[in-house]
Amino acid sequence: MLKCNINGVDLEVPEGTKLIEAFLKAEQKIAHYCWHPGLSVAGVCRLCMCEIEGNPRLQIACNTEVQEGMVASNQSEKVKETVRWGMDFHLINHPLDCPICDQAGECGLQEQYMEYGQYTPSMAHAKVKKRKVVSLGSKVVLDSERCILCSRCVRFTDEVTKTHELGIFNRGDKSEIGTFHDKPLENKYAVNTVDICPVGALTSKEFRFKQRVWYLKDEKTVCPGCSTGCSVKVYHNQEGLFRVKPEYDAEVNEHWMCDEGRGVFDWVNRQNRQSYSVNAENMEKPSSSELKLILTAQQTVEEYESLFEYLKSSNKKVEVYYWKNNPDKFDDFDNLLIRGDKNPNTKGLLETAVKHDITLNPFSGFDGFESFEGDIWFILPENKAVYPLYEQYVEKALKLENNLTIFAVPKVKVDKTKKNISILPLKTYFEKDGHFLNFNGLKRQLKPGPLQVSSALALNEWVSFVKSDDFGDQVDLLSKRKSEGFRKKNEMTQTGGGL
Amino acid sequence: MSKAIESKLLTEYYDDPHYMSFEGYTKRKGYEVLKKAFKMKPEEIVAEVKASGLRGRGGAGFPTGVKWGFLPKNDKKRFLLCNADEGEPGTFKDRMMMEKAPHQLIEGMIISAYAVNAHKSYIYIRGEYTDCLRIVKEAIDEAYAKGLLGKNILGSGFDHDMDVYSGAGAYICGEETGMISSLEGLKGQPKLKPPFPAIQGYLKFPTIVNNVETLAAVIPIIEKGADFYKSLGTEKSTGTKLFSVSGDVVQPGNYEVELGTPLMDLIELCGGLKPGRSLKAVIPGGSSAPVLTADECVDATMDYENLSAKGSMLGSGAVIVIDDSHSMVDLLTVIMHFYHHESCGQCTPCREGTGWLEKLVKGILKGSGRVEDLDLILRVANNMKGRTICALSDAAALPALSFVEKFRLEFEQHIRTQSPVRERETTSHA
Repeated sequence: MLKCNINGVDLEVPEGTKLIEAFLKAEQKIAHYCWHPGLSVAGVCRLCMCEIEGNPRLQIACNTEVQEGMVASNQSEKVKETVRWGMDFHLINHPLDCPICDQAGECGLQEQYMEYGQYTPSMAHAKVKKRKVVSLGSKVVLDSERCILCSRCVRFTDEVTKTHELGIFNRGDKSEIGTFHDKPLENKYAVNTVDICPVGALTSKEFRFKQRVWYLKDEKTVCPGCSTGCSVKVYHNQEGLFRVKPEYDAEVNEHWMCDEGRGVFDWVNRQNRQSYSVNAENMEKPSSSELKLILTAQQTVEEYESLFEYLKSSNKKVEVYYWKNNPDKFDDFDNLLIRGDKNPNTKGLLETAVKHDITLNPFSGFDGFESFEGDIWFILPENKAVYPLYEQYVEKALKLENNLTIFAVPKVKVDKTKKNISILPLKTYFEKDGHFLNFNGLKRQLKPGPLQVSSALALNEWVSFVKSDDFGDQVDLLSKRKSEGFRKKNEMTQTGGGL
Repeated sequence: MSKAIESKLLTEYYDDPHYMSFEGYTKRKGYEVLKKAFKMKPEEIVAEVKASGLRGRGGAGFPTGVKWGFLPKNDKKRFLLCNADEGEPGTFKDRMMMEKAPHQLIEGMIISAYAVNAHKSYIYIRGEYTDCLRIVKEAIDEAYAKGLLGKNILGSGFDHDMDVYSGAGAYICGEETGMISSLEGLKGQPKLKPPFPAIQGYLKFPTIVNNVETLAAVIPIIEKGADFYKSLGTEKSTGTKLFSVSGDVVQPGNYEVELGTPLMDLIELCGGLKPGRSLKAVIPGGSSAPVLTADECVDATMDYENLSAKGSMLGSGAVIVIDDSHSMVDLLTVIMHFYHHESCGQCTPCREGTGWLEKLVKGILKGSGRVEDLDLILRVANNMKGRTICALSDAAALPALSFVEKFRLEFEQHIRTQSPVRERETTSHA
């Protein structure tokens, strides 16, 4: 460990630490654009200037390694003036179009201008014109005029994905980000470039112009897209969920996540959900003493616990079927984040099953169910997109004559006159408490966000209803519950409400 | 009086047209010094060069022997690179050296490579110098044929391979780390320092980068000894230097004189100013060096310490003489255009600042400038200085600062007389 002093704060850092990391560790503000903790040092924005005792010249903190006894500061007027000018150099050719820029509200230029700039601009000449609305690929759009050429995106494709799609072309103030030979930016992690872009130069085609970011709240949770279980932030408001961004997690995903994982919020939104229960009263009737249950590895450990406890304590003859989506690709891994097992809690399911001495029989359709006359519980996966046989199996299930209970997140179209089928809406990962175990057994906690569907319950909550005597009353109460903060789209204009 | 002050240490035989061939060169005692060098230990050569006080002739003036001393003390692979990407506006000495005496450069490089124990060297030649490229290539082939390159040179047991590499016309590739990037096949952009090239350079191996003239100057140092070399020039600027004198002199060209020669004598050596003209200013070390006014020129001597005391620098030795027929606004616009065009675009202050400076100066030239712009130029330039990875930002800032500070009246006068607003007022009065 090396002792150093940053702006008067004494601290110890491990050898090889860059000075900028020491500043951040000492909770001292330091301006920067090009430096990113997950990428190599570029040293080009020249904003992280600081004074180091014994060195007459200002140094950039990102390319300076901390030495034993180093005393550094960025509080002097000289440093502040330099940073102010650094900001000005960044902004002289930057368009002043914040009101129509999708990055506004979470823009590094806006934030750092308010923190370190606030000068009277002296640029009185025409700005450099560059390309606008350049499609870099199916997911990312570039606005070269807004780009500050920090090279983070280029370094990302060079160092993290190693796909080398991006480069900086031309030189001087004509420099622009671009793709080689117009070969598009198409890798499975492309939208990370949008996250790390400190300005509005790279925007995501999926998210841009959907919401102003200051209308969004974020919730830290776990991506349910595959067994890697990246830590993520989900951005939402009264109108639903809008985007997912990675959250730093040293043990799992570091700074990144895959593009596939960014799409896994859509099924949470109300319009895609089973939003009411059907024939819930079936659950009250005395039913058969035999039960077949089909489940996937998409529920939380807590849900499996309560379900398995219930199964063990009931006097029924129970068989549990485990539905794997793509057994042949189950162990695939792209050496970065994406795994073939598209379920967030396979490990959790297997461990809980062993703990409760439950045998998981492989599920491969309803063949062999013909002679069975007992009850069937079918817990549908919430991320149905990764189950290629989903539609086929659901269709088959709806034709069954057994007493069938379907626990579903996605909408299930059912003939309500068929009294043998009941459907109970489930909560998604975004709405419930609990935890997943990822592929190597790391526990990652979910945090319940606002409920999108009022009548939805988690599996363990349904189980406790089933166990209680007043199932019907509880379901009635449930139907009167309101979704939290649900607001109709364009409420203001439709009701003629003023501002 | 003039010719007497020339001190031809490197250029002694340049008038001989055969000097560029192997035969012509060996007739003039060529490759004799190499034989002497091989009888010395490498560290003796380094010590001799260090003792001679030789400073890098490319522009920065860093002591060559000290630079060589930065290499790690081991037998691991390292490279010697010759910087022949002579791009500083006003400089044309390396070109003449390569065209007239390619073997001199090769001999200097073999001695230097032997001293630093490099078994491979490259000569990075400016893209526009197609003749140099051909001549040096042919000379290298000749040297290979005569056993002066390759395995076991002259029975010394020292192996060395040499190759040329052509730039593509970017000024920034004359910066040593920019040149290394270019040589590696990357975009020619300077690299962050540290690590310095002597520790981690070409392909991450320790690398020494020297200018053509520097490498050639190693020959007389080894031949005649450090003491002789030190007897030339001044205490801190030893030896001789080639000056590329251009601009408003009767006989522009390359002149080799001892360092410390008075600037006015050098101008005199070039035949003086054109008849009827008076001296206005001199840029003493290439376009990035701060300009000297005529008054400052009177007691200026061409050495590192005198020019640095005057706030300028010796640079690459490109002396640009400006007489009273030129507008300083015009000249600064040309210089600013050059640096704007050549900025690699990596560091923000340089990328944006060079463009801003050009716009400001051009605005003044075209008549849309404001007097406030002069202060703005100074502020912009001051904030570009020392803020970037390489020195290009400084190279653009220094002339802007010195031109505007030293010729402010002329700039103001230009703004007032050229301003479109003024023109309208004059018409209304008339």
